Amino acid sequence: TSGCGQQQEAVAVESELEPFSVFRTQESDPACQSEKHLGQFYTLPPAHFRPLFPHGLPYRYQQQVKTFNEACFMVRSPALEVISYLKKADYSKPALRYLFYGLKGSGKTMSLCHAVHFCYTQGWLVLHIPDAHLWVKNCKELLPSSFNSARLDQPLQATTWLRNFRTTNERFLSQIKTTHRYAWTKREFTDEGRPLGELVNQGISRVKSSSDVVGALMKELRLQSGQPGAGFRLAVAVDGVNALWGRSTIKKENKSAVDLEELTLIHNLRKLVKNDWVRRTLVLTTVTAWSPTQLTGFDSMDPFIPVSVPNYSEKEFESVYLYYLDRKWLQHPQSRTEDGKKELVFLSNRNPSMLDRICGFL
Amino acid sequence: MAASLSGLLKPWIPRVFLVRWSRYNPYYLEPEVRKEVYSQPDSELSVEEKEQRDLKMIRPIKAATSGVTSSVFSDPVLSKFINMMMEHGNKVLAREIMTETLENIKRKQVEKYHKAPEGQKEEVECNPYTIFHQALKNCQPVVGLASIRKGGRNYQVPIPLSDKRRRFLAMKWLITECRDNKHRRTHMYEKLSQEVMLAFVQEGNIIRKKNELHKMAESNRAYAHYRWW
Repeated sequence: TSGCGQQQEAVAVESELEPFSVFRTQESDPACQSEKHLGQFYTLPPAHFRPLFPHGLPYRYQQQVKTFNEACFMVRSPALEVISYLKKADYSKPALRYLFYGLKGSGKTMSLCHAVHFCYTQGWLVLHIPDAHLWVKNCKELLPSSFNSARLDQPLQATTWLRNFRTTNERFLSQIKTTHRYAWTKREFTDEGRPLGELVNQGISRVKSSSDVVGALMKELRLQSGQPGAGFRLAVAVDGVNALWGRSTIKKENKSAVDLEELTLIHNLRKLVKNDWVRRTLVLTTVTAWSPTQLTGFDSMDPFIPVSVPNYSEKEFESVYLYYLDRKWLQHPQSRTEDGKKELVFLSNRNPSMLDRICGFL
Repeated sequence: MAASLSGLLKPWIPRVFLVRWSRYNPYYLEPEVRKEVYSQPDSELSVEEKEQRDLKMIRPIKAATSGVTSSVFSDPVLSKFINMMMEHGNKVLAREIMTETLENIKRKQVEKYHKAPEGQKEEVECNPYTIFHQALKNCQPVVGLASIRKGGRNYQVPIPLSDKRRRFLAMKWLITECRDNKHRRTHMYEKLSQEVMLAFVQEGNIIRKKNELHKMAESNRAYAHYRWW
């Protein structure tokens, strides 16, 4: 709240920069954003950007950040709604699950990342799985699991995820201690009471046991964040959560299809996503669902709070148009005319990703 | 014999009716695609234009090709380039490559713009369309060479080129250069964007080829009078 007070003093300065601030806002703290900032862009501080999003942002948005030299999020109503729920939720009850759903390219992943930024600024531990679909297809290496012989490991995906997890949650790695003793092989083990950082480093250096490390990490966090004495809150964000219950294209060496239950990573994720624990929240997205009832895996996800992510409204479209003009992205002389703008609306149907692609070459 | 005769007597009806590249009766008029022409009020039109409009109401009109649009963003030079790049009629792919090229050029330039210090920002040209048009202009040769046979020998004679021929040569050189002389694993849009950026600043293989052509024409100046047209 003290940060919000300082921002109010900055409003006086803002009124001098009138033409600049129609589509931008100086309020870069998601906790202080409210309905009057709807449709405006806020800039992510560069210090937050590198640790928060080593993964999880759409590829085209990453290219845009590189080109414009700044990371700007638009304040939209689905993300704002979820953030207000997160602020008011009662954490002594079982975990609440929020689901972003909408058409392809309507901004679900970006809303998820906005919510993740809020969790990060509040000091929570963020468990962000960038895209569950990537874990379920095109797996180059499958190892039989050392822990449970019926299951299969995915070492490459697990190691990259652990590395990114370490970048995001550096400060928690030394605070949290393990509560069990884990034996990875005959000679390697992690004792009780060791900091979590050691567990993570073990997974990154020993690639063979990395999936089991991921499972152990999730178990530790699940147990510990429920205790009243723990110093942190856990936020889990899974992008593309319907992949956990859909089909997989991975095949075993004898060309038979792999059942999703047999993959260690998916098994552990499913346990995490169940809401039988306290003091945590889950924020998830799905891909291309008209309505939440169409989800595969609806039974395991039920009950949850669905949040619809629509295409841009007129105000949001204006805002994005002005932002692109400001960043010199719309270069075609005709795109600055009224006719050009109408044509953009028509061609993209106000869909965020279509608009981005069309403005790319204009 | 009866069977073949009856086969000959059957009238041949083609299955597919090609409309556009068929030879239209000269009676047919060209379609008007631009939107602003239709919104002109009567007072602005001169007598000839009014006559033209009345004629169009009576005469039949040719079918418009799928390449022309009434969009404000359409560019005839760009359409021609896309058609030249197209292979096996795959216009979708050719257009995709073109749009990716333009986006690539714009991305590089906008990145340079945002990283440049304040004083140098105006010098960075960000519009991919102006860059592309300027690059094509830079690649166009001024004179060409024609092989003329005189007294048993073939001489390379410098000749003037029409505008159309120059535009065609520039585009053809750009496309063949990108297809042949680049590393096989790079995408076409990357190769194209690199060549266009080089041609914009008067560097690169295409400009070199144009300059060599000019030098050859200059060295063969003596034979210019062999041209009779």
